Amino acid sequence: MRRVPLLACLCALSLAPVRAGGPSSSTGQLRGPSSPAAGSPIEQQGQERLVRLEQWVKAVARHAPGEDDDALREVAAWPNTALKLLWIDANVLTQMIRGVNANRFTVRPEGQRAGTQIRYSSTQTRRLRVLACAAGGALVQGECMAIGAGSELAPELRQLAVLVRTATLRGDDNYILRRGALLHADVAILAPRSMEAPGDVGRSSGGLERFRMEISDGQEVNLHQSAVHWEIARMLLDFVRPRGVDHADPGHDEMVRKWYRATAAWMQLREDHDRLHLDRARAIFPADPDILFLSACQHETYAGVPIQTAVRSAILPTGVTLDVGSERTELREAEGLFRRLLEIRSDHAEARLRYGRVLGSLGKHAEAAGELRRAVADLTDRQLLYYAELFLGSEEEALGNRDAARVAYEQAAEIAPMAQSPLLALSQLARRHADRRGALRAIERLFALSVMERTEHDDPWWWYYVVQGRDANDLLEAMEQPFLMERLQ
Amino acid sequence: MRRLWFATVLVLLASRGDAQQSPAFSSKVEAVRVDVLVTENGQAVHGLGPADFEVLDNGVPQEVTLVSFDQIPLNVILALDMSDSVAGERLEQLRGAGSGLLAALAKDDQAALVTFSHAVQLGAKLTTDVASVEAALSAAVSTGQTALVDGTYAGIMVGESDAGRGLLIVFSDGVDTSSWLRADAVIDAAKRADVVVYGVSVVSRLKPEFLREITSFTGGRLFEIEKRANLSATFLGILDEFRHRYLVSYTPRGVAKDGWHKLDVGVKNRRATIKARPGYLAGS
Repeated sequence: MRRVPLLACLCALSLAPVRAGGPSSSTGQLRGPSSPAAGSPIEQQGQERLVRLEQWVKAVARHAPGEDDDALREVAAWPNTALKLLWIDANVLTQMIRGVNANRFTVRPEGQRAGTQIRYSSTQTRRLRVLACAAGGALVQGECMAIGAGSELAPELRQLAVLVRTATLRGDDNYILRRGALLHADVAILAPRSMEAPGDVGRSSGGLERFRMEISDGQEVNLHQSAVHWEIARMLLDFVRPRGVDHADPGHDEMVRKWYRATAAWMQLREDHDRLHLDRARAIFPADPDILFLSACQHETYAGVPIQTAVRSAILPTGVTLDVGSERTELREAEGLFRRLLEIRSDHAEARLRYGRVLGSLGKHAEAAGELRRAVADLTDRQLLYYAELFLGSEEEALGNRDAARVAYEQAAEIAPMAQSPLLALSQLARRHADRRGALRAIERLFALSVMERTEHDDPWWWYYVVQGRDANDLLEAMEQPFLMERLQ
Repeated sequence: MRRLWFATVLVLLASRGDAQQSPAFSSKVEAVRVDVLVTENGQAVHGLGPADFEVLDNGVPQEVTLVSFDQIPLNVILALDMSDSVAGERLEQLRGAGSGLLAALAKDDQAALVTFSHAVQLGAKLTTDVASVEAALSAAVSTGQTALVDGTYAGIMVGESDAGRGLLIVFSDGVDTSSWLRADAVIDAAKRADVVVYGVSVVSRLKPEFLREITSFTGGRLFEIEKRANLSATFLGILDEFRHRYLVSYTPRGVAKDGWHKLDVGVKNRRATIKARPGYLAGS
């Protein structure tokens, strides 16, 4: 069964329970976003969190990108409540890496305007600082020397500090950030079952709330809380400092760009839809053609029948909404993004093909036909050319150009001889023009396609909504390649 | 709506030995035929002749020249959803219902099977050999998405491939998710065809708008059944209802040759309930 996960959101994304509130940091309390386990002292919870954070740092440094290794399996097994806390603590750790003496920490979840202040006890703050010294490769720097960080670290973390230092000396001081993002993306990609976090959907447990609705054949089959691996990965990359820059500026970092492009392509290939992911990518890379393309494709996909049908059929708990607009809203978003992309890259034939289809879906048939004719002229990829001819046929038909429509459909049928859509289109076109014999001839061609020889891939139309992610695996591999070395062994 | 050459109709009638209804028509005259269900108090009304019917074509009274009832063999086309969601118990029910319907066909009736998931397939073309249709039904497996619109169109075209009296039964437990054809284009094709479409849909939050429209435009009916409902009884009920319909023919006079023709069918001197297609697309 082909299942398509679709991100849903609790309207009020909230970190409210984390807010320290009344007691000051001097009380030594670290408050988790969820209710403390019964009978578990808050101080003890804090200790557990820092132990988890330390395990995380080590797992990040041990993980081989793209591999389903022990480090990945360890992190994949963590419960979502722990991951939500990790999102906070890793965020704070990263702030400390950038400034070891920092003692005021604010975190802000995606989609929220206001940040939330996080407070730790002095003991916890000290431990965090020591960890930051290791994870930042700064053991020999003044602040870390002053607190004797090196003497408090296990050998594995001291080895990590050396690796980070080496990377920093080569000009990149984002070791934990980049590798952390790679690790959490790999968990989502290689251990997808771990994304299904158990929990009562509809009752906020605090912290980041993400839900995923799985749909099959246009109908909801499952709604569950989603583990926040992608959120952790994006948060880490927000702190990336490109070479030669002394502040976070992920929008000028090529690895971050490649990461978003590859992971977004993977999501679309796997129909694992997450609007926040590309929204963030576009915020960071507003004029990047690849990001614009995938964003536009996502909106086009959201406007498609399978997603729109699923949204209409979904039974969601109070307060939970799906990040999907109406068909028209999504089409207009897609139209705007494709247009912007084509202004930047007028030679992007695949974007022009999709732009033409979107225009046609919006009823702008003449404009659509123009774009599609140009796409037909420019495209060399046979599968994309098939789409262009098929869509052009539809637009010519809408414009009353029967002969041109027939020619385009026949071209599509020639490109993909086992595809049913052009034959259905030809039959319907003939029937519409009172050519009953022509309609029957075309449908006979469809019926003549051997049942035994037909496969899932016969008609590229069936794969239209995923084909834009076809090179996802290559992109992931290329993006991960530089990180295969210099790991903790 | 397809316009039959009357020569074709006469051949069909002759095969049933109905000599008294064999008026001499010019072979160039086109006729319109309309499947009509006449009921009183829920019971089918029998024994009506041409003089009992009133037909208004775009408001213009027409002379009904031919009425047949339970005389012309049926062409029963099953268009069945074989998507993922039909797997398991539902598939077995569907096979059972299909088999029951095939067993209830008369000797001269023909049957055909179209299955659709995302792919549309002709399981068996129109044939009196119902065993071959049943074999195709047994071999059908459920997989993939639902191309309800494409599958329905294919079913209509199977009906169009033969001049016989076409009944298309479309079953789906979901809504369309992967068709290429647009629903309005297929409804347009249905308006041009003689096939009567009956729809069977499983109740869900999504309304089966496409099936509702296409059954309405062809004079058929939509049955929305519960998940556990007896599908066999529904299929057999459809066949029984269809057998009790009149096939009313007339040669249009005083109306335009093209475009949408609104039809009003009535029965004189009776307070009967009439079910017939609301119109047809001429020039088809």
